[in-house]
Amino acid sequence: MADVVSTRVGAEPAGRLSAGRLRFFAFIAIAAFMIAGPVAEQVFGVQTPLLRSWTMFSAIGLGVIDASFEIRQPDGTLVPLDRFVMLGARRDGTLKRIESREELASVIKRLCTAAGQGVDIRVRARQAARNGWQIIRTDADNACAG
Amino acid sequence: MPAPADAIADRLGLRSMHAAAARFADWAVDTEGSSRSSALIRIGLAMLFWSRWAGELLLYRDQSPIGLFLAANFFVATMLLFLGYHSRIAAVWAGSVGLAMYYYFGFQLGREPWTHHHTYLLAVAALLIALTPCGRSYSLDRYLAVMRAERMGVAPPAERGNLWGLRLIVVQLSVLYFFTALDKTSYAFLSGARLEAIFLWYYAGSDYPAGLAWLATIVSLAVVVLEYGLAFGLPFRATRRYLVLPGLAFHAIIYLTLPVYTFSATMALLYLAYFDADAVDKVIARLQGTGSPATAKGEIS
Repeated sequence: MADVVSTRVGAEPAGRLSAGRLRFFAFIAIAAFMIAGPVAEQVFGVQTPLLRSWTMFSAIGLGVIDASFEIRQPDGTLVPLDRFVMLGARRDGTLKRIESREELASVIKRLCTAAGQGVDIRVRARQAARNGWQIIRTDADNACAG
Repeated sequence: MPAPADAIADRLGLRSMHAAAARFADWAVDTEGSSRSSALIRIGLAMLFWSRWAGELLLYRDQSPIGLFLAANFFVATMLLFLGYHSRIAAVWAGSVGLAMYYYFGFQLGREPWTHHHTYLLAVAALLIALTPCGRSYSLDRYLAVMRAERMGVAPPAERGNLWGLRLIVVQLSVLYFFTALDKTSYAFLSGARLEAIFLWYYAGSDYPAGLAWLATIVSLAVVVLEYGLAFGLPFRATRRYLVLPGLAFHAIIYLTLPVYTFSATMALLYLAYFDADAVDKVIARLQGTGSPATAKGEIS
C-alpha cells in the first residue's frame, strides 16, 4: 500500500458528487458484492448461482469408501485379501475406487462367490462424509454369512 | 487547548477511525501509478482465456447459432484484450463473455466445468482489469497514442493511471482466501479427513495408504493457516514479503495435484496487483537496462 496518492476523496467540495466519490461508492459496492456471495452461502446457507462462494473441492471425494478386506485361513488366522487378485481385476480399473455402499456390497458379494462356500471374509469400511469419516462396516461379522 | 467536541472525538477514537477511513479511501480509489502491471495482467488474462477455452470453442466444436455466437465473441474479445486495442472495452467484453459462459452456458445449459471457480475468477478478473489503465502500456492503444503524439509534436501520454481496479483485485483475492479458509475451518478438514478423501478419490482409490493420516492432518492445518495468512497478510508490504513465495508454491502444488484448470495460474498472475505498481515498473525498467537497480530492489516486496 505504498503507491503515490493523487487527489483525496474528501478533498472535493461538500455536496458535489465528484468522480473520486463516485469511484469510492462503486468500490464499496463492488467489494460488498464480492463479500456477499460467500457470506450468503457459507454463513447463511443461501445457495444461488448468482452469488459465488469460495468452497473449493468441498464436495470432491464425498462418498468414497476406504475399505480393507481379510480372509480367514484354515488355521483360523485372518490375512489381508487382495480384491484385485481374488476377482482377477486390473488395479487401475473400476474396482480401484468404491464410491458407494451399493458398490461395496456388490464387491463383497463377488468376493464371497469367488472364494467359495463357507468362506469367512471380514470387511472394515468407512465412507467419506461432509463431517469426516463415517464407519459403515466393522469386521465383527463374516461379510459372507447370511 | 482542544475544543470540547474535539476532546470527545479524541476520547472515542473517532479521529483515528476517521484517519484510518481516509487512508483506506486513498489506498482504494485515489492511487495513481504505473500502468505496466495492469497491462501485464491484461495480456496474461487473455492468454489464460485461450489456454482454458480456445480448444473448446473452435468453430467446428459447436456449430449451433449460439455456439458460433459465443465462439465469435470469445475470440474477438480476447484477441482485442491481448493486443490492447480499446483495451478497457475489450476487458469488459471478455469478462462479459466469461460471465455468460459461467451463468448461461454453465448454470442454465449445464455445460461443465464452466460453473467452476476458475471460470468465475477469470471473468471477474477481466472485468476488474477494465477498471485499470490496462491499455496505456504494452498495447496497440499505447502505440497509436504515441504515434498521435509524435504527429502532433507533443510528449507521449504518461503510462500512468488510477489503480482502483488493482485494489479491487486485492480485495477479491483476500475475500477468496478468507472464505476458502473459513470453509476449511472445521473438524472434518482440520483432522485431515477431507484431504484423505480427496487423496483417495484422485490417487489411491479405496485402499488407504499407510502413513497418510498424520501427513493429511499436518497438510490440512498448514493449508488453513496459510490461507488465513494470505487473506490478511498479502495486502501489506511488511507481511507480503514472507507470503508471496509460500502462496505461489501452494498454487503450484494444487495445480500439479488437482484439476484446478487455470485457477492457479490466474491467482499467480493476479498477485501482480499486490505489488506497488511503480515498483513493478522500476523492476521492468531495470530488466530492460533503463532503470536504477538501487531503486527497484527495495520496493518490490
